[in-house]
Amino acid sequence: MMDGILQGVSTALSSYNIMMVIIGCFAGTFIGMLPGLGPISAIALMIPITYGMEPSSGLILIAGVYYGAIFGGSTSSILINAPGVAGTVASSFDGYPLAKSGHAGKALAIAAYSSFTGGTIAAVFLLFAAPALAKVSLSFQSSDYFALMVLGLTAVAAFAGKGKFLKAAIMTIFGLMLATVGTDSDSGLPRFTFGRLDLIDGISFLLLAMAAFALSEAMMNILDNKEQTQKEKDDLNASIGSLKITREEIKEMAPTVGRSSVLGFFVGVLPGAGATIASFLAYGMERSFASAKEKLKFGKGSIKGLAAPESANNAACSGSFVPLLTLGIPGSGTTAIILGALISYGIQPGPTMYVDNPALFWSVIISMYLGNLVLLVLNLPLIPYIARLLTLPKQLLLPLIIFFSLIGVYLVTFNTFDIYMMTIFAVIALFIRIIDFPMAPMILGFILGGMMEDNLRRALTISDGSLSFLWERPITFSILIITVVLLLMPLIGEVYDKMKKGKA
Amino acid sequence: MPGSQFEVMSASTFPYYIGLAGIVVSVLILIFSLADKNGDSITLSYLKTLDFKTTSYFVAAMLFYGFTIRSLGFIIATIIFLAIGFVLLKEKNVKRIIFISVGVSVGFYLLLNNVLGVYIDPGMIVEYFVGEES
Repeated sequence: MMDGILQGVSTALSSYNIMMVIIGCFAGTFIGMLPGLGPISAIALMIPITYGMEPSSGLILIAGVYYGAIFGGSTSSILINAPGVAGTVASSFDGYPLAKSGHAGKALAIAAYSSFTGGTIAAVFLLFAAPALAKVSLSFQSSDYFALMVLGLTAVAAFAGKGKFLKAAIMTIFGLMLATVGTDSDSGLPRFTFGRLDLIDGISFLLLAMAAFALSEAMMNILDNKEQTQKEKDDLNASIGSLKITREEIKEMAPTVGRSSVLGFFVGVLPGAGATIASFLAYGMERSFASAKEKLKFGKGSIKGLAAPESANNAACSGSFVPLLTLGIPGSGTTAIILGALISYGIQPGPTMYVDNPALFWSVIISMYLGNLVLLVLNLPLIPYIARLLTLPKQLLLPLIIFFSLIGVYLVTFNTFDIYMMTIFAVIALFIRIIDFPMAPMILGFILGGMMEDNLRRALTISDGSLSFLWERPITFSILIITVVLLLMPLIGEVYDKMKKGKA
Repeated sequence: MPGSQFEVMSASTFPYYIGLAGIVVSVLILIFSLADKNGDSITLSYLKTLDFKTTSYFVAAMLFYGFTIRSLGFIIATIIFLAIGFVLLKEKNVKRIIFISVGVSVGFYLLLNNVLGVYIDPGMIVEYFVGEES
């Protein structure tokens, strides 16, 4: 293990890779700040650039973009009360009031320090959890993987929020359906290609991610044409104030940050939960821990109320890498995109990655930590200037985002059919957004679809076509039991609510 | 496919069961949404605030971009696409429109060709004026 870590450190600390982390953090912060564009879009926009790089450099760049985008999201939550991503909504509860009262600089600094601490604590956890889990997962067979993927997909739907369970479920199924387009890997038969050669290789994951996220988010901005309000402009032009935090404030928020980071990490590890749920849980937990006097401050600019969600969402981001790196199964939309990128570099994450490619495995973990450091040391002092970018007029920004999304996919295949297909997918995605169905489960289903089918086929072949492996292997069986429980919980809850409503 | 009846899982097995699951979930969504009469569905007033006109022009511009990127070449097609985009979103400053669309397309072309080593066809018109690069 020590060898691997050292190799990883030397890979991550090469001057080229450090440059990648820095570029990634800046690009991520900028994209994450733009309203509507979250980490998924930011990463999708960066993937075409990474195709010419070494896998480790590409992945390091992507990790930087991921953290940068989350930080950028916090910045716009705090400064103009417009969270770029769901994961930073909780940060605006206390961050924005704090900024309104003239302490914008302090709020940003608190956000950066708590994110950093959250990231640090999570990185230490990751250092121990990932290898341990990777070792356990070496004993997993195809049937266990199949069950795990079913669990992952179910969990995404189950954690989608009240009343959204079925919506998330149908989107997952939609993603699985899209995954079946193309040549069947086993029989070599074309499926759902409508006789078109362009579809023989299936739908490219980058195309789908770009159309469903970056393109459709930019188009949603055109559709929902809200001018930047005068209030937002004023907020942006207001002076940010000092970035300093006093010693008392650090003392006040230290326990909060510690608790929230641990909570965040574990929530992040759970498939389907992720940064949004972690930040809300941490916010709720801190409020219930606070004394009666402090409770009143929550929502009005409490330091703890800002530190808690910030440390939790960053810790959750690191946590979400655990299932990705050790099992090769993404638990969230963002990690699904990263998995897609890894596969396109020719790397299959999972327990074997830890064994075969330890330098890559560790360099990713270490550069994630470096990313946190860069955010704190470089981005925080520059944030007043980066925030000015938010005043860039939308009419100039949106066509450019659309152009970069289109060309990013076109440059990989040089096939104009891809541009048409992206446009069509973006229109479909726009429609899905309007009727308020979640997008992330679709991309997760799409990425997992192929793997799920392969594992199911392998498991069935091993057991000679009988489904008995579902209950004969203890690991498979227990995972499936958890899945069923997860599946039934929201359904029962919904039915119960409906019945109560009906009676009332 | 001959012999596929002996396979444990054929090419159609997985899509078939996903389709089945899709039907079940769709029916459930239908039932729940019919039962839930006073649910918070999207309202007509929300739809009216949306700018469908500009968006559909944008969709047309994107398709047009796909159509022209080969025939006109990367540089010209990109300049046209970006300029149309800026105009559609009501940017009034003509100098800005020209400067940014030309700057981005030429700059990006040079970056790709000279730094990143990705060759894109600049288009016949550009080649005619600049001469074919060897």
